[in-house]
Amino acid sequence: MRRPWPRHVRSRMTLWYVLVLGVLLLAYAGVASSYLFFSLREQLDHDLLEDSERVEGLLENSPDGMVALGSVHHGDDEPNMQRFVEVWSSDGRLLYRSPSLRERTLGGPPPTGPDYTAKDTPSTLRLADGTRVRMTSSLHTIVDRRVLLRVAHSEQGLWQEIQEFVSVLLLALPAALVLAGLSGFALARKALAPIDAMAHKAERISAERLNERLPIENPEDELGHLARAFNATLARLEAAFDQLRRFTADASHELRTPLTAIRSVGEVALQAPKSATEYRDVIGSMLEETDRLTRLVDSLLTLSLADSGHIQVQRTDISVLGLAQEASSLVEVLAEEKQQRILVEGEPALIVSGDRLILRQALVNLIDNAIKYSPAGAEIVVRVGAGKDSQSIVEVVDQGPGVPQEHQSKIFDRFYRVDSARSREWGGAGLGLAIVRWAVEIHGGQVSFESVEGQGSTFRVALPSSTTPVKNGSEEVST
Amino acid sequence: MRILVVEDEAKVARALQEGLGREGYQVVLASTGEEGFYLVSAEAFDLVILDLMLPGRDGLEILSTIRKRGLVTPVLILTARDAVENRVQGLDQGADDYLVKPFAFPELLARTRALLRRGRTQLVPQLQLADLEMDVMARRVRRAGKDVEFTTREFELLEYLLRHKEQVVSREMLARDVWRETSRATPLDSVIEVHMSRLRHKIDEPFDRKLIHTIRGVGYVMREEQ
Repeated sequence: MRRPWPRHVRSRMTLWYVLVLGVLLLAYAGVASSYLFFSLREQLDHDLLEDSERVEGLLENSPDGMVALGSVHHGDDEPNMQRFVEVWSSDGRLLYRSPSLRERTLGGPPPTGPDYTAKDTPSTLRLADGTRVRMTSSLHTIVDRRVLLRVAHSEQGLWQEIQEFVSVLLLALPAALVLAGLSGFALARKALAPIDAMAHKAERISAERLNERLPIENPEDELGHLARAFNATLARLEAAFDQLRRFTADASHELRTPLTAIRSVGEVALQAPKSATEYRDVIGSMLEETDRLTRLVDSLLTLSLADSGHIQVQRTDISVLGLAQEASSLVEVLAEEKQQRILVEGEPALIVSGDRLILRQALVNLIDNAIKYSPAGAEIVVRVGAGKDSQSIVEVVDQGPGVPQEHQSKIFDRFYRVDSARSREWGGAGLGLAIVRWAVEIHGGQVSFESVEGQGSTFRVALPSSTTPVKNGSEEVST
Repeated sequence: MRILVVEDEAKVARALQEGLGREGYQVVLASTGEEGFYLVSAEAFDLVILDLMLPGRDGLEILSTIRKRGLVTPVLILTARDAVENRVQGLDQGADDYLVKPFAFPELLARTRALLRRGRTQLVPQLQLADLEMDVMARRVRRAGKDVEFTTREFELLEYLLRHKEQVVSREMLARDVWRETSRATPLDSVIEVHMSRLRHKIDEPFDRKLIHTIRGVGYVMREEQ
């Protein structure tokens, strides 16, 4: 289906204001012509009444019992001004009729008896041949005879003037509309030209050229606002694309490492015959790498499910201290192996609403890191306390080497490792802290840390306590 | 025991056939959905291992057909990790168990055994391997007639290994069944290793005959000799 409506905004705008202007002009013409009409008629009435008085003075009885009109000087001076006069007796007899009326009558015989009166105000009357006249009537006494005098003026002149006036207006109207339309179209095009330019510019910005921005000519006006909003969207898009690119590059790097290992171990093993035990060893080594790959793919999937908001957060009320104890008991043996001690202490009354498994994993990752990075015999403190804004705080304090200044802003990034050789030895892919951050953030919390090189780090997880209202069910996750 | 394996990836199918065959099962392979569908309708099997992502006929369709015919053959479905919905749907349509690809073969064996044994499981309270004895009720372990003390976790771990003696158990199985940790992302490997070395220390170190063996890249097994 085609819409009978212009495609471009500028044409639509022009059409609209031509329409509006047309209606306004028509209304104006209507008001002006009626004003003219009424004032002309008032003038006509005024003349009519004056003329009627004049005619009164000229009335006289004629010998044949009729009435005659004395010499007429006035009324014929103006050619357009046609005067009609009728005189009726009180018993309904026509006493006089101007010759110009010929057989036409000014309203027929008047009613006789008590209704034999005159109207005070002039009224419009249509004669038998359609001529419109303005008529006034008055009672008059000639000598001792009461007569009804009717004087009428033709409205022809009035209507002619109105007609001329209206036709001038109507002739001017289309011209005005065409002019308005043309200039309106030009104006709209001028006003919309920057939008066109922006659209063309935006069309050229592709995924590869996301660093480009729209020019902002006047940041204060609507177009500047539009351009700014568009640029902000571009900036977010660019950041997302960058993150994705980096993530893909990192992920493929991480995947390539175990693949390379599998391949070279296998290829080298096939170079020369080996004993069964040696082959077992080779296969075992390849399987270890496979395991690493599996784990990596799983973590990546978890994070990508998290990114797309597909992970359901199953909220229950959890004791924070209980959770910390549970997490630490899970990895306690690792600390024991290094003669470390994990001290879990703090406020037992704090409750958060959250997904137990996800939050526990976050704490396990943090404590696991603390064990890894602290020297043998160190003490690791897991402290639970209340923070401001009714938050629950869990701090994991280690005695490790600390995080060097230059790495501090990035350690929660995916695949980021402070010391890649050392971390890989422990089987980490640099996803542990990224998972911590994700786990804490979907619960509306924040994770932060303080670190002094050589003196250890404190990782702090702040979660909103259960007293504040929490959304239920699955939530959109943004990382 | 006849097992039908419906799997389109030839390498995986052959590996399953060989691995399960070695355990004494008779394995029939079907590489497409149609074939699997035909075999399920025509022959009797004790277990069906069904890949959900098949060319031709969808795995779920085969599953629902099996169930509609009133066959109670246990079905173990194989599915990809990101197809969580499929998995849930599979269980809804009458699958008995599922495994996420890539799976560890010992895990597949364990599930297979469990499904074939279903209804006939009895938890033996006395477990034994060589001169190692465990009384699950009394929570007592003896090796060569001498009592050995364990922590709760170590005891549970040993019990699990003994119940699966002569079978390889993967770290994943241990994490899930002993630590009850469902997420593969939780770093439990080193925790498991530490516990295994403690078990070894208590059970094997004083004796010549070792009972706990590491299968590199796969997991652990308890058996009398290497």
